[in-house]
Amino acid sequence: MKEKTKRTIRSSLILAFVIIVIGLLIYSRIQAYSLAPTSTPIELRGYPLWAIPIVYLYDYFSHGTICLLFAFTVAGLIYEFVPKEVITKYMGSSKAAGYGLALGIAPFLTVCSCTMVPLFGGVLYAGAGIGPAISFLLMAPAANILAILLTGELISWELAGVRIIASVTVALVAGIVISKTPWGKAIEKEHQINSADQKSAKVEIVKPPLDERLWAALKFGGYLAKQILPYFILGLIIVSYLEAFLPEEIIKEYLTGVNGVLLASVVGGPLYTPTLVEIVLGRGIWVREGIILSKGALLAWLMGQPYDFANALAVSRIAKWKVVLTYMVIAWAGSVVFGLLYGTLSESL
Amino acid sequence: MKEVKVEVIGTEPPCMRCQSAKKAVEKAAEKLKQSGLIVKIEKANIMSKEIVQKYGVLVSPAIAINDTVKVMGRVPSSEEMERMIKEAIE
Repeated sequence: MKEKTKRTIRSSLILAFVIIVIGLLIYSRIQAYSLAPTSTPIELRGYPLWAIPIVYLYDYFSHGTICLLFAFTVAGLIYEFVPKEVITKYMGSSKAAGYGLALGIAPFLTVCSCTMVPLFGGVLYAGAGIGPAISFLLMAPAANILAILLTGELISWELAGVRIIASVTVALVAGIVISKTPWGKAIEKEHQINSADQKSAKVEIVKPPLDERLWAALKFGGYLAKQILPYFILGLIIVSYLEAFLPEEIIKEYLTGVNGVLLASVVGGPLYTPTLVEIVLGRGIWVREGIILSKGALLAWLMGQPYDFANALAVSRIAKWKVVLTYMVIAWAGSVVFGLLYGTLSESL
Repeated sequence: MKEVKVEVIGTEPPCMRCQSAKKAVEKAAEKLKQSGLIVKIEKANIMSKEIVQKYGVLVSPAIAINDTVKVMGRVPSSEEMERMIKEAIE
């Protein structure tokens, strides 16, 4: 009995913390003050060189701490409570279920890059085949919950929404196309093992008590923060100089319009690190005093990431280079097409 | 003397969370040893065909006790591991 009360108290304490974090974010929304830095280039240029990052970081964290706290807390909670057994159980059952799960659940599971490639392998081996496996792989970094939350808070929720739609489409197309290519089929054949119902062992997930799960969720959020924040801060330092010294005219000349989309889509990939830096960097380049100079180019930049090299290397160990190359080309083409489309439709190319 | 097999299923090379999971199992094993229970810890590669054939798709890190996956996609505490291993032999 005593043990039970202790657990209830612990659960309530953690839940209270979560509610406070969510409440703070909503409160900041109602107050309508910006969660992103507000310094203008002219203000920044007024400081000595060494002081610019400090001013910018102070500016950022005085606004953005709530947003980061919220993002990491929510990501931790979702990761802990999303039913992972559903994925593992149904991923191999049929092609349609495979695609559905890849697109629907990948964003919640893959905030941590170390789960991504193993799942890709598992899905490929266990029956859903190469199509859903590729969809899953492309969907994961492009639209994971942390990336979307931060895109929304730092840049705009419209862009975050478009980013999801574009990523889903590109991931689905890439999966279907690759599953139809001869080299894709060859990989599938090579790796397919006998269907999952021959499993000799059981999976019986033990659910720990609520307080332990909540605590684990917070701990995982903290782990993510520890992994990501150092790079994030480094990104902010670079961005502070970009915002201060990269003239608006240069961006307007080279990084907007059709050329801007093409350039952004090409550079976005290799520069991508799974650390959300691309969001801060994209903001530093295309957002000036709250106005997005080219929505199209910014989207292409953000979408460029699924064909980054680190991931491609890991995948090429399982799938052959031909498959990797095919999905990289499709992902790149997708970012160009959606960049141009969104830029034209929103009249911000 | 009773014996329990615990597989820690993770990525190769091991990711940080897989290492933490293994440490939790090792700590639990150390404690259970004092109460006369031998825990055999095995490391398994989540990407190997044998593991996928045996368990299907898993989320790393996963922990299987006597060929039954009990933990998936999270790092348990060593106390929890201790409890689970004890339950498994009852």
